[in-house]
Amino acid sequence: MLVFGIPDPQIWIGYVLALGFTLACIVYGFMNWNRGGANDGS
Amino acid sequence: MAVDTLLMTVLVLIYLGATLVIGYIGYKQTKNTEDYLVAGRNSHPFVIALSYGATFISTSAIIGFGGAAANLGMGVIWLTVLNIGVGILLAFVLFGKKTREIGQRVKAVTFPDLMCKIYKSPLLQYISGFIIVISMPLYTAAILIGGARFIEPTLNLPYTSALLIFAVITALYVVFGGIIAVMYTDAFQGTIMLIGMTLLLVLTYLAIGGVTAGNTALTNMADLVPKALASQGMTGWTSVPELGSPIWFTLVTTIVLGVGIGVLAQPQLVVRFMTAKDNRSLNRAVLVGGPFILMMTGVAFTVGALTNVYFYQHSGQIAIDAAGGNVDAVMPLFINLAMPDIFVVIFMLTLLSAAMSTLSALYHAMGTALTVDLWGRGRECALSLRSNQYGIILMMIVSTLLAFVLPISIIARATAMFMGLCAAAFLPAFAVGVYAKVPSTRAAIASMLSGAVTWFFWTAFVHTAEAKPLGLCQYIFGKPVLLPLPWSVIDPLVIALPVSFVVMCVLQWQAGKHPAPGTVAA
Repeated sequence: MLVFGIPDPQIWIGYVLALGFTLACIVYGFMNWNRGGANDGS
Repeated sequence: MAVDTLLMTVLVLIYLGATLVIGYIGYKQTKNTEDYLVAGRNSHPFVIALSYGATFISTSAIIGFGGAAANLGMGVIWLTVLNIGVGILLAFVLFGKKTREIGQRVKAVTFPDLMCKIYKSPLLQYISGFIIVISMPLYTAAILIGGARFIEPTLNLPYTSALLIFAVITALYVVFGGIIAVMYTDAFQGTIMLIGMTLLLVLTYLAIGGVTAGNTALTNMADLVPKALASQGMTGWTSVPELGSPIWFTLVTTIVLGVGIGVLAQPQLVVRFMTAKDNRSLNRAVLVGGPFILMMTGVAFTVGALTNVYFYQHSGQIAIDAAGGNVDAVMPLFINLAMPDIFVVIFMLTLLSAAMSTLSALYHAMGTALTVDLWGRGRECALSLRSNQYGIILMMIVSTLLAFVLPISIIARATAMFMGLCAAAFLPAFAVGVYAKVPSTRAAIASMLSGAVTWFFWTAFVHTAEAKPLGLCQYIFGKPVLLPLPWSVIDPLVIALPVSFVVMCVLQWQAGKHPAPGTVAA
């Protein structure tokens, strides 16, 4: 299966994971935006 | 190079002027040694994220690993997966918060100082300080080379002058402004890098006919893989090498694991956690850090591989041939030939930013390791601004001299070597140190030493890529390496990290079963 012209799943899965981890960083940052402040007991 | 010299000069001067002004603001905010070493533990999340990212990503990532992708193909993207998953998510969430909390509690100011205070062992401070002082100049020299390689043709300067100017200007604001100046300028430089790399991705795909067309063209070039690489397992630029082949081992063990895991225990990055005011700052930094790293390494590795399409379409050669066999020259050549003039200037500023942000952090980490952790340990002078400034200047000179003697195509390899050593020596002791209730000093010392010694042994006597040019094995044993394939292509990290990890775990477990008299939980 060609994905954007790339035939090897071991390559395009790498791209999918890179984008997935980036999304995870964004979600984590938003979910914990106000957690762990100096007055929050951390 | 057809870039207008006046335009180039004006923009470079504006960039340098802005950098020095921001550095000066950092200098004015530096009131005491804690400011100079850990930014008063009060950094803004945006500054932490960009400073961490810009320090993490250097010319090595863009020039060295971009060139490695031109040579080995898109499989290098797995390094981006680890860069984000391990280098940002794991590093900030698992290690960053604990490091900040402990660093603040014990008032640690450097990575070796943190290790010393966690384990209550000055010896650990000496060992980690020593490892930093002897290994970090190698990485620093690689970054200097990467920057100078691009400045040389772009500004038409002799290589020596390019390297010296580069080294001195960066040192200027580090020496005077300390880590506040370093982090402020990092944030500014990180912003430029983000703009530059975004443009690079878009313009590259435009130059080769779009995403699918460009990737397909690269896929169709598989039969152009040089015979020497094909015989070592390379199958094309859009497929991973044959499982278990020498190139597969190099890609997976040296490039992906060596750098991907090595980032976790890099002293100059760990210190950034200690500059955060609270865990909220680190949570917010994750949001900025992930996308930043994706746009740095993801773009560099993708574009690196795609340069083959451009060179083949325009000169009938693959990238490495067009660059005269020098991996480090592929990206600069591509930018100079394929990009519009104005982008050449923007990319030069991007590279300057990438190099200066990492260089400044390394100068700071090396200089403070020399002063706080080795020469001045336990002495009051260790915490004087003047002593740390001298330490930074001395380490800058050492790194610059090293840059003149390193061979070509060294950038990616030197980076992987430094990161591999950091992981092998520091990671188990660091991880246990921040999490264990009663971390064992004996275990940490044994782990650090076993990791470093195994790494040195494998590098000097087994791993062909380093052992052969080093010549020590040949001199002592009369043969270039001690072990045959596949051992000779397995990166030292893959051997040394498990060794130091097992040593740490076994001795820590023993210490837990038989605690020393008087030992209490931290």
